[in-house]
Amino acid sequence: MTHRHPPHHPAHEAGLAWHRRAIQMLLYGRNVDRARKARARLGLAVLTFAVIYGVIAGRLVVYAVSSDPHIARRAVSGDAVATSRPDILDRNGEVLASDILTPSLFAEPRRIIDADEASELLIAVMPDLDHSDLRERLASRRGFVWLKREISAKQQQEVHHLGVPGLGFLTENKRIYPNGAEVSHVLGHVNVDNRGIAGLEKWLDGRGLADLHQAGFASDRDQQPISLALDLRVQHAMRDELLAARDKYKAVAAAGIVTDVRTGEIIAMVSVPDYDSNNPREALDPTRINRLTTGVYEMGSTFKALTIGMGLDSGKVTLGSTFDARVPLRFGKFNIHDFHAQNRMLSVAEIFTYSSNIGAARVALRAGVEEHKAFLKKLGQLDRLRTELPESAEPILPKRWSELSTITIAFGHGLSVAPLQAVMGTAALVNGGLLIPPTFMKRSEAEARALAKRVIKPETSAQMRYLMRLTVEKGSASKAEVKGYYVGAKTGTAEKVVNGRYSKTKLLADLMAVIPADNPRYLVLVMLDEPHGIPETHGFATSGWNAAPVAARVIARIAPILGIEPRFELPPADRQILASARGTR
Amino acid sequence: MIRLVHLIVVCAFVAAAVYVYKIKYDATAQAERAAKLRTELKRERDRVATLRAEWSKLDDPARIQVLAERHLILRPTAATQFDTLDRLPERPPQAAPPDVGDPIASIIENTDGEPPTGTVPGAREP
Repeated sequence: MTHRHPPHHPAHEAGLAWHRRAIQMLLYGRNVDRARKARARLGLAVLTFAVIYGVIAGRLVVYAVSSDPHIARRAVSGDAVATSRPDILDRNGEVLASDILTPSLFAEPRRIIDADEASELLIAVMPDLDHSDLRERLASRRGFVWLKREISAKQQQEVHHLGVPGLGFLTENKRIYPNGAEVSHVLGHVNVDNRGIAGLEKWLDGRGLADLHQAGFASDRDQQPISLALDLRVQHAMRDELLAARDKYKAVAAAGIVTDVRTGEIIAMVSVPDYDSNNPREALDPTRINRLTTGVYEMGSTFKALTIGMGLDSGKVTLGSTFDARVPLRFGKFNIHDFHAQNRMLSVAEIFTYSSNIGAARVALRAGVEEHKAFLKKLGQLDRLRTELPESAEPILPKRWSELSTITIAFGHGLSVAPLQAVMGTAALVNGGLLIPPTFMKRSEAEARALAKRVIKPETSAQMRYLMRLTVEKGSASKAEVKGYYVGAKTGTAEKVVNGRYSKTKLLADLMAVIPADNPRYLVLVMLDEPHGIPETHGFATSGWNAAPVAARVIARIAPILGIEPRFELPPADRQILASARGTR
Repeated sequence: MIRLVHLIVVCAFVAAAVYVYKIKYDATAQAERAAKLRTELKRERDRVATLRAEWSKLDDPARIQVLAERHLILRPTAATQFDTLDRLPERPPQAAPPDVGDPIASIIENTDGEPPTGTVPGAREP
């Protein structure tokens, strides 16, 4: 320890650390001999190199651990300029919408030597180009003109082989919908810049995809595909039957929904006439709107399900309660008639199965105007229903909710709702009493339960299932029966308002069917707008004659796809559903 | 002594420089290769996407239905055509044990001389 002190004397330097010595060397340079100086320089060089190598080694480690972002960026920047969108798949992974790269042909007229020859050659390859227009464009002295957007790979090859200078290709992302019109109302469509302007495509952009595009990040194909709850096979079966039904009954339009009552997933949603998503111009035609979300309708007698559900759930009415349906119900200057008039006292079950307007009105009156309104509000029938689809319609409520409003709304007139909304409400009546907001995305039962809101008691729900089954067994929806699938259903026929008056000839026929009725899994809505009577229906245009058989055909086709096991030895509804409901209570 | 050290250091320095240059050169080559592969990968992915889109266009249920109606005699499955597994009939008893070399001989042997031909025995009489 003693020899390190004092440090200033040269004699003591040998004992010092070498770097201290190096510093002292630099400080006292002139007084020291050359050998010592050389050693010091060497020491300095060693130190410097050690530091440099240290830095290099450190950088190497950094490079090895994290890959260089600049290389990846360089690879991307050379690719297509157009933005790309994630694929949209159905629930089984079938592609519903995808981006493909398509070449587009452009010309640089200034670099074209002989415009006449070039246009001759191009016409030979692409005969659909306009000859004079093409020559004019090629002969112009402009720097850049598009000749044809989106040509096929084969055409690109052929044009390439022409060897005409001044022609070139740019690849662009193009959104294509392989299924054409099949799913158009759900998917919507995009504009030329690949931006969503309708349907789920617009919703996708709303989720931040548009911002990504602007920042230039969404140009790669690495985006996660979107998986819908929709089943393409079910969608097709529904659309096929609806197109056939629309022709058969000469209806203006037809629409249908299949929804999973336990999760709220929409398995199929069709509204014909529809349009081809690949040709968005068709969507401008107002007759091609999506009637299920953007249209509002008075749903007719299917609304009686809600009325009876309310009555049973409040406890003011039981299945056995009887109501007077002997004479039309007089209210002020209005007379409420029954379509299938029985002219006797009817039990609640009979009111439902015979679809008695008088009976439904009396049930609603017993509950009272306020309770009726509150119940419909609870079932989401009075507010705009919002789903992923950007298009939605506000229900049309009576301006002043009088007693007469309650009477008419009890059998589905005077309140216009979006059909999807009515489906949500009816699903809640049969699925055990849970109101689940519908969705186009996949959703598990557990997720649905977390979102669900209890609206009626499970026992009431069992009674509603029983009533719907009974309507098929011996009521107005008997034509909706499909042997083996235990269908429960409720018909509805509404008179459409024409010039402020209810029309006797322009009708809206709809049907809500639930399969299987004892333990519902799917709810099917079939709706025909202004169907006509045909000889086969004996001239009738009411729901039981047209919507019901269509629904039966749809169910027969989709039930095997949806994996519903046919059962044939089931007892009638009162033993199968009511007995089991009593057992669980 | 000090000269030797200098020599060694200079040699080491040159060797290190050469080595670093080689690493740098290799790294550039690798980076270029990676970029090329990435481009190729993207091109392949685009082609896969195109093929998938084409496939789903060909696989479109509407198209298949038209083809099926034109060329097949098949109809949509009816509920009555389904059956449950427990109603499946028992597997028929095997005519010959599986480990026999000549199964036909063993069938003939097991039938006690009566050939299993399906001919009604009485029909042979005139």
